[in-house]
Amino acid sequence: MSVLEVKNIQKSFGKTEVLKNISFSLEKGEVLSIIGSSGSGKTTLLRCLNFLEFAEGGTISVNGEKIYDGSEKRSMKENEIRMKRLHFGLVFQDFNLFPQYNVLKNVMLAPTLLKLGTEEEIEAGARALIARVGLSDKTESYPCELSGGQKQRVAIARALALNPDILCFDEPTSALDPELTGEVLKVIKSLKNGDSTMIVVTHEMGFAKEVSDKVIFMADGIIEEEGTPEDVFGNPKSAKMRAFLSKSFENI
Amino acid sequence: MDTFLSVTLDLLQGFWMTFKVFGLTLVFALPLGLIMSFLSMSKVKIVSAAMKTFIWIIRGTPLMLQLIVVFYGPGLIFKIDSLDRFPSVIVAFVINYACYFSEIYRGGIESIPKGQYEAGQVLGMTKSQIFFKVILLQVIKRIIPPMSNEIITLVKDTSLARIIAVYEIIWNAQSYIKSAGLIWPLFYTGAFYLIFCGLLTVFFRAMEKKLDYFRS
Ligand SMILES: Nc1ncnc2c1ncn2[C@@H]1O[C@H](COP(=O)(O)OP(=O)(O)O)[C@@H](O)[C@H]1O
Ligand SMILES: [Mg+2]
Repeated sequence: MSVLEVKNIQKSFGKTEVLKNISFSLEKGEVLSIIGSSGSGKTTLLRCLNFLEFAEGGTISVNGEKIYDGSEKRSMKENEIRMKRLHFGLVFQDFNLFPQYNVLKNVMLAPTLLKLGTEEEIEAGARALIARVGLSDKTESYPCELSGGQKQRVAIARALALNPDILCFDEPTSALDPELTGEVLKVIKSLKNGDSTMIVVTHEMGFAKEVSDKVIFMADGIIEEEGTPEDVFGNPKSAKMRAFLSKSFENI
Repeated sequence: MDTFLSVTLDLLQGFWMTFKVFGLTLVFALPLGLIMSFLSMSKVKIVSAAMKTFIWIIRGTPLMLQLIVVFYGPGLIFKIDSLDRFPSVIVAFVINYACYFSEIYRGGIESIPKGQYEAGQVLGMTKSQIFFKVILLQVIKRIIPPMSNEIITLVKDTSLARIIAVYEIIWNAQSYIKSAGLIWPLFYTGAFYLIFCGLLTVFFRAMEKKLDYFRS
C-alpha cells in the first residue's frame, strides 16, 4: 500500500490553471524529487498537499485512507483540516522560523501546543532532533544569530518533531549562499537512511539524481515526465525535459 | 513658600484627574483598539468598510468636538439623560484613542510575513495559538515606537477634558490667574507633564530593549 496516493489534482487561481490533473504515488521511505522551471506549479502542488491551498479537484490518500477530496472540500472543518495536515510536514524556501524563540523552543513549540507528550519527553525529543541536524551547540541561539544553512536545518528539525508521514521540502536551498547548500542537502540525505518519506522540490540536479528514488519533471501544471533518476536524467523522452536539462547544466 | 506648597497640592489634585483620564483611556482603548483592528481587517466587506468609515470619522474630526458631542449630544439630540462629565470624557477619549490604536495594530499585524502564519498552520497549530504564540510578540515589538508616540500624545490631550469642565491640572493652574493674579502655576504644570512623559519614555525604551534579543 502506498504511503501517498495523489489522483487528478487540479488547482486554478482565477482563470489560470496552475495544476492540471496531477497524479502520482509514493511508497514508504521513498524520496521523490520534483523538478521543473519556475512557474510550473511545484510550490502550488506542495501547498495543496499541506492544505495551504485547496485543490478544486482530485483526491489525496495517505496510507490507504482518503483524506481529501476536491469535490467535497467545503465540508471540511477547521479542526479536521488541522489534524489532516499533520500527515504532512513542510520545509519552506525561506525557513519561516519563529524569531522570538530560540532553536530548542522553535522545535518544541508545536509538539507542546499539540500536547504530544510531557514537557520532558518533548524536550528530549527536540534535543535529539537538533543533534540529528548537527546543531546541538546552538540550542539556545535565536534565529537571527544563525546562518541561512543553520536556520534551514532548524526548520527541518522543527518539521520532524511532529513525525509527519511525508515531509515536503520547497526548494530548501534556494535562499542560501552556494557554500551553505551542502550542509542542508547532507541533512536531507541523512533522513533517507531513516525511513522518512520525502518530497523534495529542488533545482539541485546532482542532488536529485543521487538521492531520489523517483523524479517528476513538471511543466505548465502537468507531469511532463516521471521515472527513476536514471531514466529521467539519462534518457529523457520529452523535448521540454531535454531543453530544461540543457538549460540547467548551462547555468553551471 | 506657603503659596508654592498650596499650589503644588492643588496641581497634584488636578494631575490626579489627568492621570485617571490617561489610565482609564488606556485600560479600555488598548483592548478595544485590538478588536477594532480585527473588524477593520474582516473578510466580511460590510464589517471592514463600516469599521474603516468609523475610524475615518473619528480620526478626521477634532477630539474636542467629540467631547462636546458625547457630553451634550444625547440630551440635546435624543432628549435622554446625558452622561456625567467625567464618564463623558472617558467615553470620548476611549473611542478616539481606540481608533488610533486600531490603525497601529493593523499596521503591525499586516507587516508580519504570511510565512509566519503558514509555518504555524503546517505545524498543526490553531488560529488562536498562531496569533498568541507566534504573531503577537512580533507585532508588539514592531508597534512599540508608534504606540509610545500615541500614548505620550494622550498624556497631553487629557487637558482637553476641561472643555466640558472636568477639572484637570491645567484648569486648576489657570484658576490662579483670576483668583490671585499668578501666572507661574500654569508654567509649573509643564513640569508635571515633562516628568510623567519622561517616565513613559524610559518605560518604552526599557520595553524596546527587552525585545531587542530577536529580530523579525
Ligand atoms: N496565490 C496565487 N495567486 C495567483 N496565482 C498564483 C498564486 N500562487 C501561484 N500562482 C501562479 O501559479 C503558477 C505556479 O506557481 P508556483 O506553484 O509557485 O510555481 P513554481 O513553484 O513551480 O515556481 C505561477 O504562474 C504563479 O504565478
Ligand atoms: Mg516555487
